[in-house]
Amino acid sequence: MKKIININFQGRVIPIEESAYDTLKQYVDSLRRYFANEEGRDEIINDIESRIAELFSERLKRGSACITDDDINAVISSMGRPQDFEEQVGATSEPSNAYQGSNQQTQTPPPNYSSASVGRGRLYRNADDKIIGGVCSGLANYLGIDPVILRVIFVILFGALFWVYILLWIIVPSQSLQTNITKRLYRNADDRVIAGVCGGLSSYFNIDSWIPRLVFALPLIIGLVSGTMNAIWWNWDFGFAPRVITGSLGSTLFITYIILWIAVPFASTASEKLEMRGEKVDLNSIRDTVKEDLENFKTKTERWGQEVKQTAQEFGHTAGTHARQFASEAAPLARRAGSGIGHVIGLLFKVFFMFIAGIIAIALLGVLIALLFGGMAAFPLKNFILEGPGQNLLAWATLILFLGVPLVGLITWLVRRIMGVRSKNHYLGYTFGGLWVVGIFCFVFLIGSFARNFKVRMPSEDKIAVSTPANGKLYVDVTRANLEYYHDGDWFGFRFNDEMPVYGANMDTLMLNTVRIKLAKSKDSSYHVTRVRLSQGNTREIAITSAQKIHFNIEQQDSVLYLPEGFPVSSADKFRGQQVLIIVEVPIGKRIQMSDALNRYSWFTINVNNRRGWNINFDDYSDESYGWDANTEYIMTPEGNKRVSDLDPVELKNGRFKIIIDQDGEKTHIEGDFENKGDKNHYRYKQLEDSIKEKAKDKLREELRVQDSIKREKKLKEIIKTSTTGNQENEEDETTSSSSSAGHIISPMMMLSGIIN
Amino acid sequence: MNIENTQSQMRKGILEFCILSIIRRGESYPSDIVEEMKGANLNIFEGTLYPLLTRLKNADMLTYRWVESNSGPPRKYFSLTEKGQTFYNELEATWKELANAVNALAKKTESMPDTTNQNPSF
Repeated sequence: MKKIININFQGRVIPIEESAYDTLKQYVDSLRRYFANEEGRDEIINDIESRIAELFSERLKRGSACITDDDINAVISSMGRPQDFEEQVGATSEPSNAYQGSNQQTQTPPPNYSSASVGRGRLYRNADDKIIGGVCSGLANYLGIDPVILRVIFVILFGALFWVYILLWIIVPSQSLQTNITKRLYRNADDRVIAGVCGGLSSYFNIDSWIPRLVFALPLIIGLVSGTMNAIWWNWDFGFAPRVITGSLGSTLFITYIILWIAVPFASTASEKLEMRGEKVDLNSIRDTVKEDLENFKTKTERWGQEVKQTAQEFGHTAGTHARQFASEAAPLARRAGSGIGHVIGLLFKVFFMFIAGIIAIALLGVLIALLFGGMAAFPLKNFILEGPGQNLLAWATLILFLGVPLVGLITWLVRRIMGVRSKNHYLGYTFGGLWVVGIFCFVFLIGSFARNFKVRMPSEDKIAVSTPANGKLYVDVTRANLEYYHDGDWFGFRFNDEMPVYGANMDTLMLNTVRIKLAKSKDSSYHVTRVRLSQGNTREIAITSAQKIHFNIEQQDSVLYLPEGFPVSSADKFRGQQVLIIVEVPIGKRIQMSDALNRYSWFTINVNNRRGWNINFDDYSDESYGWDANTEYIMTPEGNKRVSDLDPVELKNGRFKIIIDQDGEKTHIEGDFENKGDKNHYRYKQLEDSIKEKAKDKLREELRVQDSIKREKKLKEIIKTSTTGNQENEEDETTSSSSSAGHIISPMMMLSGIIN
Repeated sequence: MNIENTQSQMRKGILEFCILSIIRRGESYPSDIVEEMKGANLNIFEGTLYPLLTRLKNADMLTYRWVESNSGPPRKYFSLTEKGQTFYNELEATWKELANAVNALAKKTESMPDTTNQNPSF
């Protein structure tokens, strides 16, 4: 069942099938194009149309209700198609001249895009097709190639060819040139992976489309792969290909691709597409191309129609019925080469879904790459973090399966798309997916195992003997380590700075500088230095052992206390968050100064769990110690550490201190003597203190109990005795003796209680 | 070498002459001309004929008049002008010459006289 329309053809109303009308219109248009440059074109067309109208009338007279497709085809075959027409004269020359005695009739088919027989004698600049000066266009005309190619070459080799261009611009004259180009470089919209650049190139050079894709992609891929290999095995040099290919050529090709993407247009019209393929552009080929396009369009819209149907069913039944109507209308709409609502909806859906999918894919890719680089960055530290074969295995498995597999999968997919290979089986995909899931589990186990290594933090405390310096001032400084460790600043291109807690690493030793100095008041009149080495581990024993392995030797030379720059951790001992805490106790009246080299120490704590375990947090104790600035001289007063510069120098000499503190605009006056008042408020490692207290308390309680029971016994005896003998003297003696013995007992009790309090 | 090309070239050369010879006999309508050519085993498309007639008309070789018809649009009937007649006469002479020459060449059965060894020294 076909639609019939009425047309006004040569002054007559003719009923004709819609599809037949399309064909007729195409035919007449093709004739119009064919005779475009013909003098008397309109007349010819008119004559032909009259003839056609006559033929129509005959058919209608014979009883047909309307003109059908068959009628049209018969008419066209009788009239002839334009390519069948035998031309007598070249269209641009005057027809009258041709008839007046000139026997030279150049029998060329209609020109425009035909193959070159224009004189190529001279090089001109093209005045018609110029971007800057028409140099490229003219040169391309002379050579018979597409000017776009020359333009791209000039842009890429801009530095070298710049002067060449100027020279040509000046020397070569400009003229309006007839286009000499059979084949132009376009981007191929039908054969595109990213932007159709390679597709267009392959069309122009008549090569397979995967060749330019490979050429563009291969150096880039090789560069990436060798770069990652270099990162992992950082002391080997992987040279898959000389740097000139992976490095400069790869990036040049990349830039070339971008330039072509920008500069070269899509081949959109039929004639452009023919130009791209280098085929003769005449009516016939144009018609064929247009027909091809229409068919493609039709199938595409049919597919869209189906997609719309499917998605609509997911969204709801009513939407589904609508979409079905649209989809069924979309096909004939497409045939009319108009824009129908159906495929607009399909287009919208498609765009929306692709947008969301694209964003998710990009985000996942970003995360993957970040993890991969993070993993590789930590690689050199692997020996220090992982312990035992189990962890090592898990780590390798994680790296390969969790991070490596998606990367390999991505590369495979990329290469496949470039080659245009469509594989039927999805085994590869499933295998990769399975491996990746295993990788996830490995990752989780690794994290768990890793965290256990840092569960418990234990100290190992030592006292360092320090003698009081003669001038009453202790200077704390840092020695340079005797052994030079690798202080290589180039670690994946990141420069070391002091913020990193790790300041050197070579293959078997890690240098840490997590050291902290705390300043406190000494309980007596001499300096004390306590060194607390801390480490973490699975259990308390392991942690303590690890702490005791820290080498951090403090030396004193006269009035200077030398601390090492850091301490080494060997790969056998593993990195377990080792720290060193130095507590310097300064007696009252004595001075201390810290060198600014101490600022190079850093400090960080790894806290795996905060609730369980014997967790020690040293930061709680800052209220009992005093902060300090480097390179400032301090003096210890009963009220704490004070800057010497704040104190009144005169009074200082007299063994007293006077300080005027300016706090919020109020001047506070503090005076006092440098005397050790036997301050019991000394800085002590609190836990030990607590435990000592506990023990003392226990002991005391024990003793008290003992005393109590002895006393009671005695009293009982007394009561018994007095009740039995009634001897007062004995009683008195006994009481005195008991009281004196009790007194004996009581006084140590009092001492103890004094100590406790 | 495409034989159709050569054949087509041959045809193209004599097409005008043929058409003019038809029109010379009397006033003709393009459709009739096509019929006549078909009868003489020289098929021609109407699309080839119309431009040719138009050109000849523009060169004042032909003239036409409109004839109304009840079965369709009015038709053009072509006839030769004087100029056209002169043109035709010239073409006829040329054609006769050409036909004779070609026929003579094509009919010959003997080979060409052998002149290769007549002058041994150059």
